[in-house]
Amino acid sequence: MSIGAAVAHGRLPGRVWMYSNYHCNLACTYCLTESAPAVARRELPPTAMIEIGRQARDLGFTDLGVTGGETFLMPAMPELLAELATILPVVALTNGTLFNHRLLARVEPLAGLPVALQISLDHPDPETNDEMRAPRNFRKVATAVPELVRRGVTVRIATTVESLDKTTLERLCTLHRGWGVPDCDHVIRPIVRRGRAATYGLGVRAGQPELPAELTITAEGAFWSPFAPTVRDGKPDTDLLITRTTRPLSVPAHALLRLIEARPPGEDSTLNIR
Amino acid sequence: MSVVERIGPDQVPLLARRYFAAGDPGPIVGALAQVPELLVVAVPLLGAALGPSAIDWRTKEIVIVRTSALAGCRYCVQAHTVVALDAGLSRQEVVALRAEGSAAEVFDSPREVALLGWIEEVAGGGPIDDASRVVMGRHWADHEIVELTMVIGVTLMLNRFATALALPTSPDTLDRLAAEGLL
Ligand code: SF4
Repeated sequence: MSIGAAVAHGRLPGRVWMYSNYHCNLACTYCLTESAPAVARRELPPTAMIEIGRQARDLGFTDLGVTGGETFLMPAMPELLAELATILPVVALTNGTLFNHRLLARVEPLAGLPVALQISLDHPDPETNDEMRAPRNFRKVATAVPELVRRGVTVRIATTVESLDKTTLERLCTLHRGWGVPDCDHVIRPIVRRGRAATYGLGVRAGQPELPAELTITAEGAFWSPFAPTVRDGKPDTDLLITRTTRPLSVPAHALLRLIEARPPGEDSTLNIR
Repeated sequence: MSVVERIGPDQVPLLARRYFAAGDPGPIVGALAQVPELLVVAVPLLGAALGPSAIDWRTKEIVIVRTSALAGCRYCVQAHTVVALDAGLSRQEVVALRAEGSAAEVFDSPREVALLGWIEEVAGGGPIDDASRVVMGRHWADHEIVELTMVIGVTLMLNRFATALALPTSPDTLDRLAAEGLL
């Protein structure tokens, strides 16, 4: 079966994820990639990302995702996202803390393009939110999101939590609605026990059976899911590595499809995480 | 000391898992698992070239031990000394295959003597003498020459791989070699 047919028939998810980098200005307690300011950057150069995007489109994939690390620490990220959006619709994950006036001006051209910025916000109480992420994180996000929305940039909110009671969730939703982000653009996902989350004993265990298969490319290879190329004690995990070859993209794409087809019937992902 | 870290049981990549299902698959597969897409094509090739086939086991082990000795591969010589003994080669034959200089005097079958000459030529590098081709052709069928030459080539590939990465000989093999006085 071709990749395009597998995507069209729902056998293979349509999005290809790319890890642009692994470093971050924050060091969240549940970070899968042990990201922090001084870690190994493991960057995927913009030219490589554009080439992967083109090959993804040509193979029949339908969407692109960019994640990290903090993606906007990559100097050319706004322009790269605009370029990727000419190839396929893109969602880019960001912690939302770097959007000063200059960066806001540079992302403004993304308005109207098929680009969504997915910004993390875990709790409606600044203190609780910042405990997991970083001091003043809540305030920075609460400032950036309305500014981006005002400029016409599509924003999604991602909430990563162990559990969330109904009242807290309602308060969180009231917040994002007030910033102009509708409920359909709010995703809630569990903490996955890999990387730093595993070190702190946080979240749910997730291996191949639990994680949806979404082709994910990093500087070090192609992986089963965006939750797969994690880092533990400074070393990249390889348990969910598919191939070291990332281009031509058909090599890991076909290997992933073969792995999916080899799964016993009924063994499908149990965690609804995107 | 090996230059590449051994992949731990909890870090085995998806495509490599079936090779680890029955336990530690040994240093060659363990190292190749770092590049799973190479592993999945290399293992069938290694199995077809070095495993059971139309060429009998004894002959294959003559090729592997002698080629590895000529290439100076400690890992392959040690591992296949044990396999060669299991394949029925005598201790004296194995010692001769592992030694520097000609091994032919210990072997009296004209086919095996021709083969030993062929191994010296092929594993030695450089051009190959037409006379050696003639001798091989006298004792071995075309398909056997092809397969034996391939076994020499695959062994040389593994010799360089194991030597470059300083793959460690397994403790079981070392124990057996010590018991046989062949360490
Ligand atoms: S979870 Fe995201 S924001 Fe937090 S340290 Fe990791 S990459 Fe940075």
